[in-house]
Amino acid sequence: MEDYLLEEKTAFVVEEVSKIIKDSVETVIGEVSYKHGRVNQWTTSVVEQCLIQLSKQGKPFKYIVNCIIMQKNGAGLQTASTCFWDNATDGSCTVRWENESMYVIVSVFGLAI
Amino acid sequence: MADLVKDKPQKHEKKVEKLPTDGTRSKEKAGRAKDPAITAPGVDEQGDDQGTAGMMENTYQLGPSGQFPVSAVSNILKEEITNTLQEEKYEAQRCQDLTLTLCEGIRNRVKELLIPRYKTVVLVHIGQLNGQGMQISSRCLWDPSCDTFTSYSFKNTSVFCSGTVYGVYFE
Repeated sequence: MEDYLLEEKTAFVVEEVSKIIKDSVETVIGEVSYKHGRVNQWTTSVVEQCLIQLSKQGKPFKYIVNCIIMQKNGAGLQTASTCFWDNATDGSCTVRWENESMYVIVSVFGLAI
Repeated sequence: MADLVKDKPQKHEKKVEKLPTDGTRSKEKAGRAKDPAITAPGVDEQGDDQGTAGMMENTYQLGPSGQFPVSAVSNILKEEITNTLQEEKYEAQRCQDLTLTLCEGIRNRVKELLIPRYKTVVLVHIGQLNGQGMQISSRCLWDPSCDTFTSYSFKNTSVFCSGTVYGVYFE
């Protein structure tokens, strides 16, 4: 019986994850404009912030976090993903964020253990 | 959760970095050694755990029976991306379709390898080369002794493409 109750707590909740991602991006980058030298640090901190928050949830998941920062100059970028997993337990969430000078795309995949 | 270790950060800006694979060998041997006695044949095949999962006996298997075949997967990744994009020019709609077909192509070929108990995530980015700065970075919370990834970057005169396949062991 307990297993059924637990299932709700251990599901991948897209809304929560997307909030975590948005918060991380906003605290790390905010309204700063694109600087080549700092991008490395930004991507690292965004990914790290997301992972810290995700692990605080204490759910039985393995997480994959991917972050892209691209300077805005009219260039296009397409991204896609496919997964081979258990649809019932695993989930993914992608957030696209932008400010005046750059695009940030963060994808999180949660795979149940 | 305690034994899950944060993996080393992986960065690739149009270049590939290899993940250190120390410690994986011994695990593989240990997994193999206890396998034959306790694993019922076929139990690990992906196709079998749908529908019949309730009727299966416990496998008492603690680790992966074999490692994720990184080199085979990275060959697939490389082949698919180079074959598809060799002569491509950047065009938004076309590239959108290409990312999807690439993703599906790669996933299906990795699926055909029939890797027991591994879940795979395939991520493909195609972008226009326009002198812009950009960085892709990725980090995972997982067990580095059995989970792994491989990635490949490709560039021609008009587009660049970065593809990553993650293999995550399902316990």
